Amino acid sequence: MSASDRTLIMPDRFRDPYIFENIVAMNDTVLNSGGVIDMSRVAFIEPYSMLSFLLMGRNYLRKRGERIRLVNIPLQINQYLTRMDFLSRDIFSVSETIPDSMVLKRNISSSRLLEIVEIPNKERQSVNVIASVIALFRKRAHGILKFWMNEEVVDYFVTVISELCQNIFEHSMDTGFLAMQTYKTGNENIARLVISDSGIGIRKSFEQKSEITYSTGAELIEKALTTPISSKREFGYGLCQVNAITERLKGSVFLRSDSSSLSALYNRKDGSGKNIFLRNDLPQFDGTQISISLSS
Amino acid sequence: MIIKVAKLARETKMKLPDLITRPVGRLMYAKMKDKLSIIGEGETVVLDFENVKVIDSSFIDEFLVKLIIDAETADFYIKVRNISPVSEINIDSVFNSYSNYKSGRLAVIREELGKNNRYYIGPLTEHESDIIDYLKLNHHAGVEEISRFCGMETGVLKKILEELMRLRVIRRNDGEFVSV
Repeated sequence: MSASDRTLIMPDRFRDPYIFENIVAMNDTVLNSGGVIDMSRVAFIEPYSMLSFLLMGRNYLRKRGERIRLVNIPLQINQYLTRMDFLSRDIFSVSETIPDSMVLKRNISSSRLLEIVEIPNKERQSVNVIASVIALFRKRAHGILKFWMNEEVVDYFVTVISELCQNIFEHSMDTGFLAMQTYKTGNENIARLVISDSGIGIRKSFEQKSEITYSTGAELIEKALTTPISSKREFGYGLCQVNAITERLKGSVFLRSDSSSLSALYNRKDGSGKNIFLRNDLPQFDGTQISISLSS
Repeated sequence: MIIKVAKLARETKMKLPDLITRPVGRLMYAKMKDKLSIIGEGETVVLDFENVKVIDSSFIDEFLVKLIIDAETADFYIKVRNISPVSEINIDSVFNSYSNYKSGRLAVIREELGKNNRYYIGPLTEHESDIIDYLKLNHHAGVEEISRFCGMETGVLKKILEELMRLRVIRRNDGEFVSV
């Protein structure tokens, strides 16, 4: 079999967490592939898809002991991934680097984002990283939250970042990643905070809590998001507080763990007034991936 | 005793303006315990959160909740001031969860009127809230006076006052009740 036969072509499905399910469905194919991925068809990548793809690459590296090589990366995608520090994480290798003159500059006008940060799974290290991320977020908040800006919204996001990052070292048993960005799609401005890990997932973290009953993975995610339950203590606040804040800001939450997901859309309701939607029987993807979005 | 929380954080080498995570809460609580070693019986400790923008639920659980629980056994009172709107919401959420999962409730008096239009944070009833408002405005009052204000019989009112004293949001002074 030639190298080109072993190359996996990625479809253009990196536009939002729902469409990215198409890529998650390819997870096993990626893990068993020859380790070369053709990105030529990818026209756009948003932060949730980027971090999940990074986890896929890390899973491959852990399983196979070698990096996936990305080939034929369109220039704008290469520029974006470089700008977000995706390529400098040593998880993927690339066949083409972009010339210095084409690298997106890091200045105030291009700082409506938080580059990818790894959240450690050790408490002490994690606390320092969280403090640094929040300090950077405060510095860039006027740009990131330009369309929603007031000091209270910044403080809300500080709470959200803190709560979600702590969940990584408290519950996931693995390191995770954080990224945030404001971007435009059509006429809509979206601010998206993403915190993802490929750890044990919500279901496993609640394994010892026999008093918490549920029939599906998505139902457990809903419980964890809407009631103050905890897998480690008598009760918890983190996810529940994140959900309350997102509801207050009329934003949306997408939370995926193992093979289930929950979407809470506080900016819209369906005809019945329902705004939480559960899905089960999705393709298995280890860990927990969360996206908090505001749109205007 | 007035404790400037931001100053305490700097002494503990914590980054401001946000006080977040359990380890930070634990360190601050340990530092606070040192300060409280010289406190007098029945004294009020004012926690001034000026220059602190966000305290998250983990910090609240490790710092404020522990201090409020200590206040009952060590006989002192806690009052907070300069709480940011987001911190108020976070404290309220922690106290509500605590009340749902533990047998007791938690509440704390604040010096200024909060965004919740109350002089306290915590899951108190409307009657309890009215009594605190009345005592805040009138400084002190006896059972008969509060009973007239609330339109409640004294037997029922006494039970509510006892509970508010147990929560350490009001206290008795020379036979009358005062807000902390």
